[in-house]
Amino acid sequence: MAGERSEEDVVSEYLDQNPQLAQWVETFRGYCETNKHWIARREFILRNMEAFPTVQQGVSCNSLDRLLSLSMVWANHVFLCCSYPPAVMAKVKEMGEGIVVKDAPAQRTTIDGVMAKGKRSATNEADAESRVKRAKCGPNELDSRPAGRAPSRPAAQKSGPPPHAPAEHQPFFNRLYKTVAWKLVSAGGFGPNLDHFEILRSCVESCKETLACVIVPLKDITGLPAGRTQRDGHVCEIRCQAVYMGTGYGRDETAAKAMASKEALKVFQGRKVTVKICRRRYEGKDVEDLMLLDEQPRTQGFPPALSYPFQNEQLDGGS
Amino acid sequence: MGVPAFFRWLSRKYPSIIVHCVEEKGKECNGVRIPVDTTRPNPNEVEFDNLYLDMNGIIHPCTHPEDKPAPKNEDEMMVAIFEYIDRLFNIVRPRRVLYMAIDGVAPRAKMNQQRSRRFRASKEGVEMVEEKNRIREEIVQRGGYVPPEEIKERFDSNCITPGTEFMDNLAKCLRYYIADRLSNDPGWKNITVFLSDASVPGEGEHKIMDFIRRQRAQPNHDPNTHHCLCGADADLIMLGLATHEPNFTIIREEFKPNKPRPCALCGQMGHEIKDCQGVAREKQGEHDEFADSMPASEQEFIFIRLCVLREYLARELTMASLPFPFDFERSVDDWVFMCFFVGNDFLPHLPSLEIREGAIDRLVNIYKDVVHKTSGYLTENGFVKLERVEMIMQAVGVAEDNIFKKRKEDDESFKRRMKEKRKRMKTEQQGPAFLTTGQFAPQALGRGYRPQAVQNARHQAYDMRMQSSEQHNRNAAQSLKAAMRNGGNSSAGPSNSTDSRGMKRKAEDSDSEPEPEDNVRLWEEGWKQRYYKTKFDVDVTDEEFRRKVVQSYVEGLCWVLRYYYQGCASWKWYFPFHYAPFASDFKDIKGMFSDFEKGTKPFKPLEQLMGVFPAASGNFLPETWRTLMTSPDSSIIDFYPDDFAIDLNGKKYAWQGVALLPFVDERRLRAALAEVYPNLMLEEVKRNSLGSDLLFLGKAHPLFDFIHELYRAESLEGTEIPAELCHGIQGTLNLDDDPILPDKTVMSPIPMLRDILQNMSIGVKFKDPQYADGFEFKATLLTGAKIPNKVLKPEDWEKRGERGSWRPQLGFNPNRQQAHLDQSGFRALRYNSVTSHFSIIHGLNRNQHSRGQYSNTPPPSTYQQGNYHPQHSRSHQPFHRKTQTHTHTHTFYFYSTGLQGAILLEHV
Repeated sequence: MAGERSEEDVVSEYLDQNPQLAQWVETFRGYCETNKHWIARREFILRNMEAFPTVQQGVSCNSLDRLLSLSMVWANHVFLCCSYPPAVMAKVKEMGEGIVVKDAPAQRTTIDGVMAKGKRSATNEADAESRVKRAKCGPNELDSRPAGRAPSRPAAQKSGPPPHAPAEHQPFFNRLYKTVAWKLVSAGGFGPNLDHFEILRSCVESCKETLACVIVPLKDITGLPAGRTQRDGHVCEIRCQAVYMGTGYGRDETAAKAMASKEALKVFQGRKVTVKICRRRYEGKDVEDLMLLDEQPRTQGFPPALSYPFQNEQLDGGS
Repeated sequence: MGVPAFFRWLSRKYPSIIVHCVEEKGKECNGVRIPVDTTRPNPNEVEFDNLYLDMNGIIHPCTHPEDKPAPKNEDEMMVAIFEYIDRLFNIVRPRRVLYMAIDGVAPRAKMNQQRSRRFRASKEGVEMVEEKNRIREEIVQRGGYVPPEEIKERFDSNCITPGTEFMDNLAKCLRYYIADRLSNDPGWKNITVFLSDASVPGEGEHKIMDFIRRQRAQPNHDPNTHHCLCGADADLIMLGLATHEPNFTIIREEFKPNKPRPCALCGQMGHEIKDCQGVAREKQGEHDEFADSMPASEQEFIFIRLCVLREYLARELTMASLPFPFDFERSVDDWVFMCFFVGNDFLPHLPSLEIREGAIDRLVNIYKDVVHKTSGYLTENGFVKLERVEMIMQAVGVAEDNIFKKRKEDDESFKRRMKEKRKRMKTEQQGPAFLTTGQFAPQALGRGYRPQAVQNARHQAYDMRMQSSEQHNRNAAQSLKAAMRNGGNSSAGPSNSTDSRGMKRKAEDSDSEPEPEDNVRLWEEGWKQRYYKTKFDVDVTDEEFRRKVVQSYVEGLCWVLRYYYQGCASWKWYFPFHYAPFASDFKDIKGMFSDFEKGTKPFKPLEQLMGVFPAASGNFLPETWRTLMTSPDSSIIDFYPDDFAIDLNGKKYAWQGVALLPFVDERRLRAALAEVYPNLMLEEVKRNSLGSDLLFLGKAHPLFDFIHELYRAESLEGTEIPAELCHGIQGTLNLDDDPILPDKTVMSPIPMLRDILQNMSIGVKFKDPQYADGFEFKATLLTGAKIPNKVLKPEDWEKRGERGSWRPQLGFNPNRQQAHLDQSGFRALRYNSVTSHFSIIHGLNRNQHSRGQYSNTPPPSTYQQGNYHPQHSRSHQPFHRKTQTHTHTHTFYFYSTGLQGAILLEHV
């Protein structure tokens, strides 16, 4: 936090030293821009000014307009939740790297959320998790699962878990549920100070199965709001028997894994766990995935999948 | 004001303003259509002088109709538009002027709304296709049937924007149409036709207003001109009131909410796309003869009589014992002004004022209170007295807290009621589990069915048994199908593991629909803080920012009122926020506004296209212009997001919400376009230029020779119209470059229509009368204007002791002859009564006739099929069917004798 504060201070200090520049830059402020939005956008403009060499102080020209336009793209994306063509988004993301916006407005119900049914509720958590949730479209570069086939994949309906898969997996997870319950009792109950990954791993292994973790560096996920990206950090997705259990974010891979395990263990806090086929996003498409759920009704959508074991039924359908 | 709620509210509160149109239909004889002779007196028993058409209200339904199949190509669209105009002309039968106005480039304040509409339309189109494909896939998987997708060129309604080729073409077609009618239709013989196409800047209805305003302000204007304006927008009512013309009528299609629409997927009526089951189409009629007929009939038209509305308003607004003399005309202006608070096209409405919650009544009450305290009215000739407005706003602000709380309560109790209603409906639908049928079917007592001996009881019993077991089988099959549909995993796991799709559908159908979250919660303490934080992303302590919002809103109110009363004050001004402030924030607003920037210019048509189109509609633009909408190197790329958020803002549906689109920076737009201007082709340069209004006349018109002479003399200067030649209409005439001239063939722009070889019309450029800068159009009645007769029942009618009871006026004519039966009619009725019982509903006391078994029959209005006999379970049918045919008889006789007065015959 201290670093972030000084970031802003650096900007204002710099402007204090260059009053002429400050005055000039101030003319770019939109009439309806709030202080907060303007300070963020001003930083964007100042940071990228060198990249537009023809921009001269006090002279308006095409390349200045381009810079201003990109700064507006960035601000619109961060504050109004607009999105632009991929090429534009990529450029802006790169330019806006490192600018910290504190508590950008919660994502409002987007048009595709309400247009069809008008019922899906908005996610408005501002924690790390929702960042993963908002990682919607774009090709995710995965390091553990082959995803090269993805573009040539047939329509979403064709691949996917077979309808009998939940029934097949359910007995195993019933056993796992009991194992986890006993393990947690002996560990003193579910809480923040456990080694969640260790507990989950040992439980799964005592049921003679293994956990599959997929870890993706956050920066490889496209479609994140530029204002909140941090360079470092990873997202981890845990599956067991190809059934999805949880997603988590952390500064490094271990932390991400721990967070994902914690999410997975949360599911086991209900009275039972159930394997279901649910729709979720994967690589920008709706797919059907096997999910482990508790019986609480879910009000928000699932985070998009990082891996997808049901690309082709014939290959690894039920495992 | 695109709010349908406003018109609904108005017509409920002031029902007498509406008069249904009488329309004389063209007859057909041996396959030849005989056109209606519009020179004959108007069947509505009123004569109109001027008819104004807000063409966009005609173009939209004609190009992409909602209740009938869309025209196949542009030519058919044009013909549909011609027919629509003909129809209106036939109903209204103007005697002096026909003014057609197509929307030109709009002021900046309106552009933001247009932009949001077009971005949404393009987005919805894409989503509709996705949704269709998804549901189609699902249905096909379930084994349902969906008719194959018709391949047709989708008409992008976004092309109804000035500057597109379509609009240019439309203008050409309309010129042809006018020339044709002036030459061939006797009803048009003496009409002066004005055409203001899309190349003339300004919204259609405001161009019309400008015409009226400028004619009114010149001395030759006839103060008793009867105007008729066609258009569906509610703000036409405001505009009509703002003219202060005593005879002003609006004509529009009858408002029918929730008209059934066919499912977008299978084209059948009765369900929406999300409920589409993919079942085979039911036969319509015995031989499928009604297959393509829509249940809805042709739209009827209604008149809205503003003079009656003025009567109503006079009652409501008149205040006794004011500290200054009461002036009704001024209070009408104030009323119009207050309606802007509730909704207009240029400003978001105040969060606490909702038309459905009686906001206008509330405002009127506050207004009457406040006017006593102030020393005058809120407005004058379209200029706002801010310190008085502040008092109104403060009074609303005091109530704000309670309004929000009440809104929440009402909302909740409404939901509760709906839930209970649904529950009730459910239980009502369930009949008994088993009902005997056939001879054993239950029969109502006292209906005259004589019990007959039971025949072949054994067989009947067998039938009933089989029937019920068949029913069981059917049910079982259905549930089996349902199970298979859900993936057949009913054995999976210990829980209710139907798949997510099945679950979701169920959740949607259940009583408690999950609602979008409302973070602002206006009904809870701290609402102001939350509103500003979530909507504007500022703290409530940021006084400076809040003042900015309020100031912009105040400017907006001034701009809108000026726009209605004086014309566009500034083409540049717009409200630069997505949300309105609270009424209680309007403090110290007196000094907030002085005047607008003078000498602003409207956009050019193509510039406006760049301002309102999403990148997806870029095909209406030249190539290099289009790249500005998509390229990362464009200096205006930020105007064109390909996806954006919609804030529901407490509403239920996306179309009610606020589209969070970035605003267009005019300076950068112009700078970017300056570079690509050289790329325009000649044709595009022409489309991009500003045009002029046109005036057309037929040979019989007194002004005809005058104009013809202008062409012969090739006079290059503008010429004033001699007032005496054209009913006192004034303006400047200029020669057209490519004019329509008599005896010059007018080529048909549409292949299926013929060229006009014997043209008898002439066209010339027309310019409204001009006035000096700073001229103020007066919002008052003109001297010599006669107020039409009163229509409403005088409030002191009883006290006045007039003889007789009050007879309400139903049409335009106060002395309309009411239909009645003559003596022979009564004799005929009496004769009938020998063989049957009858009752006359209107005029006669039906009980005075012979009392029979059925004389207590309810009046025919309750004889609606289906309502009268609630649908029971299937096994009930024999009995049910019988009674239904019975009802048919009633209705049939009722209608067949309907001509002689409403008579109901009862058959024993």
